[in-house]
Amino acid sequence: MRAGKFLTLLAFSVALCGCLKPVRSEDDPNHITVWEQEDSTVAPYIDATLEAFRKLPGNERVTVSRVHYSNEDLRQQYQTAAIAGTGPDLIMCPSDFGGVFAVAGFILPVDGLFDLSIYNKAVMESVLLEGKHWGIPTSNGNHLMFMYNRKFVKNVPQNTDELFKYCDTEAKKYGLQNCLAFDGGEPFWFTPWLGGFGGWPLDKRTPTLDTKPMREAVDFYLDLRYGKKVIPQECDYNCMDALFKEEKVAFIINGDWSVFSYAGSLKDNYAVARIPMVSKTGLWPSPMVSGKFFMINARLQKDERKLKLARELIKFYTNRENQVRQVKELKRLPSLTEANTDQSVVGDPLLKASMEQILVGKPMPMATEMRPTWDSMRQYLGKIMTRKVTAEEGITKMQQDVSTKIGEMNR
Amino acid sequence: MADKDLELARLENDRQQRRDKIKTLILHVLLILACVVTVYPLLRILSVSLRPGDKLMSTSLALIPEGASLKAYADVLTTTHFLRWLWNSLLITVVTSFIGVSLASTAGYAFSRFRFPGNKLGLTLLLGTQMIPAGMLLLPLFLMIMRLGLINTYIGMIIAYSVSSLPFSIWILKGYYDTIPRSLEEAALVDGTTQFGAFYRIVLPLSTPALAIAFLFNFTSSWNEYLVARVVLSDSARYTWTLGLFELQGQFLTQWGMFAAGSLLVTIPVLAVFLYSSKWLISGLTLGSVKG
Amino acid sequence: MNPIVASLTEVFQMVFFVLWSVFLVEAYLYLHFKKYEEKWFTPAMLAGVPLAGLVYAITAVGPAIPGSIMAAIAMYAFLVELAAIPFFKLVVRGRYSLPLMMIAPGFIGLAMLIAYPLVFEFYLAFHDLKLTTLKVWAETGSIPFMGFQNFVDVFVKSPLSEVTFWRLLLRTLGWTFVNVFFHVVGGFALALVLNNEIKMKGLYRTLLVIPWAMPQVVAVLAMRGEFHSQYGFINVMIERALTAMPWLAHLGIQKVEWLSQHPFLTCTMINVWLGIPFMMVVILGGLQSIPKSYYEAASIDGASAVQKFWNITLPLMRPVLAPAVTLGTIWTFNNINIIYLVTGQAGGTEEADILVSALYKAAFTYNRFSYSAAFAIVIFAILFLVSMLWLKYSKGTDSAYG
Repeated sequence: MRAGKFLTLLAFSVALCGCLKPVRSEDDPNHITVWEQEDSTVAPYIDATLEAFRKLPGNERVTVSRVHYSNEDLRQQYQTAAIAGTGPDLIMCPSDFGGVFAVAGFILPVDGLFDLSIYNKAVMESVLLEGKHWGIPTSNGNHLMFMYNRKFVKNVPQNTDELFKYCDTEAKKYGLQNCLAFDGGEPFWFTPWLGGFGGWPLDKRTPTLDTKPMREAVDFYLDLRYGKKVIPQECDYNCMDALFKEEKVAFIINGDWSVFSYAGSLKDNYAVARIPMVSKTGLWPSPMVSGKFFMINARLQKDERKLKLARELIKFYTNRENQVRQVKELKRLPSLTEANTDQSVVGDPLLKASMEQILVGKPMPMATEMRPTWDSMRQYLGKIMTRKVTAEEGITKMQQDVSTKIGEMNR
Repeated sequence: MADKDLELARLENDRQQRRDKIKTLILHVLLILACVVTVYPLLRILSVSLRPGDKLMSTSLALIPEGASLKAYADVLTTTHFLRWLWNSLLITVVTSFIGVSLASTAGYAFSRFRFPGNKLGLTLLLGTQMIPAGMLLLPLFLMIMRLGLINTYIGMIIAYSVSSLPFSIWILKGYYDTIPRSLEEAALVDGTTQFGAFYRIVLPLSTPALAIAFLFNFTSSWNEYLVARVVLSDSARYTWTLGLFELQGQFLTQWGMFAAGSLLVTIPVLAVFLYSSKWLISGLTLGSVKG
Repeated sequence: MNPIVASLTEVFQMVFFVLWSVFLVEAYLYLHFKKYEEKWFTPAMLAGVPLAGLVYAITAVGPAIPGSIMAAIAMYAFLVELAAIPFFKLVVRGRYSLPLMMIAPGFIGLAMLIAYPLVFEFYLAFHDLKLTTLKVWAETGSIPFMGFQNFVDVFVKSPLSEVTFWRLLLRTLGWTFVNVFFHVVGGFALALVLNNEIKMKGLYRTLLVIPWAMPQVVAVLAMRGEFHSQYGFINVMIERALTAMPWLAHLGIQKVEWLSQHPFLTCTMINVWLGIPFMMVVILGGLQSIPKSYYEAASIDGASAVQKFWNITLPLMRPVLAPAVTLGTIWTFNNINIIYLVTGQAGGTEEADILVSALYKAAFTYNRFSYSAAFAIVIFAILFLVSMLWLKYSKGTDSAYG
């Protein structure tokens, strides 16, 4: 009877194995999966909006799920999944993700699928690559601004000369150890200044690092740290954040994603302005502007029904009502042009100032060449700022390095 | 004369006791110093979790910061699915550890006691698997698990985890078995037990320290693992605590208070397992059986 | 369904699945060991195994499998069986049944999990998969053949800007040696101290194990915070010491920018702190297996503490120490976490990079998949060579292989 027991056991197990197969949500035409990298404080807003979409008449059978990843993880995971032919239906991410995804064929161009004229032009430009647009914006901004504590600053400096004058006199009055703080290690904080001296890291697809404006901007940076000693020695994101929250510094430069949190901790003392004009050139520093975007998985090309559902979701998410709600809850500028005239935007001083800053900003390049450019800049700026190489040497090497990296990437 | 001998003996005894006391004192001092070095960063994390306002850094070295509150702990337990993540992690880790240790104990015994073709090769292969840089295998691992339909399942996780701790467990158990003399099993065989019975009844109970080490290793590796979990699990209802807690890290903003609170809470089960396992780390051999 | 109940059911299904697979493997082997001599065996197996594979595939995936895959499964199963039969007939001959059956489940699991990724990586290394060819690969399923070009590139073109492959290799070797040395010495010291009869041993042991028990990412971030030039414990203490005793400045003691000026040193210190508890636990376990009677006998003979250590402790510890040190060395060589977390993220530097962290950057930041596959294989080859040489030289094989 051993054979009999064995056979029953075998049959049972084989049957059980059949039950173990999970249902793939990708095959369900009424289900949309969204991956995002927003902070967890933003998650409730996203969930509420998705829930509102589900409650629309006609969407009874629709389900939407949201999965969160940290920024780097989202990039890598999406790539891994897309290579395997799976992945989410939609992804909410900054514009620079689009560069790699577009080239590798992981996402669909949105030109034929949506009416793009209703969205803010500058924002759309940041997802323009090789003549096609690769995402639908949900917010405008993601840019750096000049932030200050009203307790210490009565009249915000309009240009760098005024800034230095202030730091020499007023700041000492309040006993502040440092006048200004920002993330000195990240080139994202450097590019506005580079723009203020008339330069820019990328020209279409070619990096333009070895230029006169770059030299001037680097000298300016060095001066801030070693010459005028306006900024602290070694300060990264968390350090600058702590200094500002602990009210140990008058000014910081940070992005629109942090407005929310500072408004909460500094309350009425918190104010925002344009990064001061560079006195030497008379130009406003130009932070990189983009936004957050919905991008569509290329897989949806083969699935008519899902693509239709995804388009409806995106249109709903970016309609006027929801854009205005986003302004109120997340304090982010809308990507829908007509929402810009809404009272909630025009009437809020923080948002108004944010808008002012965007007006002198420049779109963030989406090209895949940007990544190696960032890395080279980060590496050599770091060396220059810790005085391991001279500015001249560092800048030349920066350009060489980025060319090598791009060459290897695209070989 | 006898009195003098007694006197001398007593003096010698006192001296010895004093030497012992000094020795114990020195040992305690060394241990306390070492503990301070290991525990201090943990205490700093504690202060971040108690500090209001998500401030990661502060020049104050106070362990209990001003305005300390348990709000972060309350938040992490209520606003996130922390308990669910803990449950998932616990489930996966415990099952993994038991499977891993069972498979390793039998395999280690085989390598230790038998000369069969492929003995040395097998051990070398095990070593070889550890030499592959782990990050490189993630993409094909994902492809394979996806094709087997194990994405987002506990099964996929458990298989991946229990198998990846095998090489170390097998080696350590084999090494430990080698120190147990064969005479014990031979005695049992003469009495009529099978080889497997000898393993199960005699060798296994004597090797509790190695089993404990293997279990601890399996447990800590699986509990703290991140990369494989991120690849396999995408349904937040199944997240392990590593995935869940790192959700709190945004691109720039991190909710440090909750993150620190969560990190401390997840260290507690591991420390509990360590505390509990300390009694297993005492070998049966030293409790008076035969050696040599 | 209540999520807890759902997850428990799923885990029970899974445990059952594992038990069933192990059972199946053992039954298969047992059948072969016992019955391989019988006449009816060979044809029955050659027919039966492919059939079983097909049955399993149909029930697991569904009846709609394309015929080509069915044929492939049947063929593979047939070939495996064809290879297995002579193995059992000629090599094994019914002996070694117990040991092979004991190692089978573990090894099959390992083979499944590692074999496919390895083959895949080899395939990638010899072809050209990078950002620009991803699309082509997805559409046509093939990518250009590169021969050994990728391997040559590994040695000639560095993944980082300033540092060559050889410098990275040297740095990795230095990293490994220093770390393992301190891990073993530190672990031994602590284990020896703990191996005495003192009170609160359990408490001490638990506290000392904290760097290992804590999630590694959190521990590293915490330690990294301590090295921060403004807020870190070390610099704050230095600053306080300097204000209290200004004469220290003349000795050259000042605040150090650990992360920007000395990233490699910082990483090493953090890794040493992290790795000692593990060694301590393993060594402690090994120390427990040495009976006190040996030491007592040596004491009677008048041996000093050092002599006892050299002649009793070390030799008897070898079987347990050797694998731990070998594996520890390999892990340290390939340890990407520390370097990545301390210096690799935004705002970091390349100066502390070792081979694996540079490789990771190349692969995931720039999507140079083929290059990194070749790199991984080169790293593997280096490690393999070095460990084989080491084992031969130290005759560790004898005591390690028992």
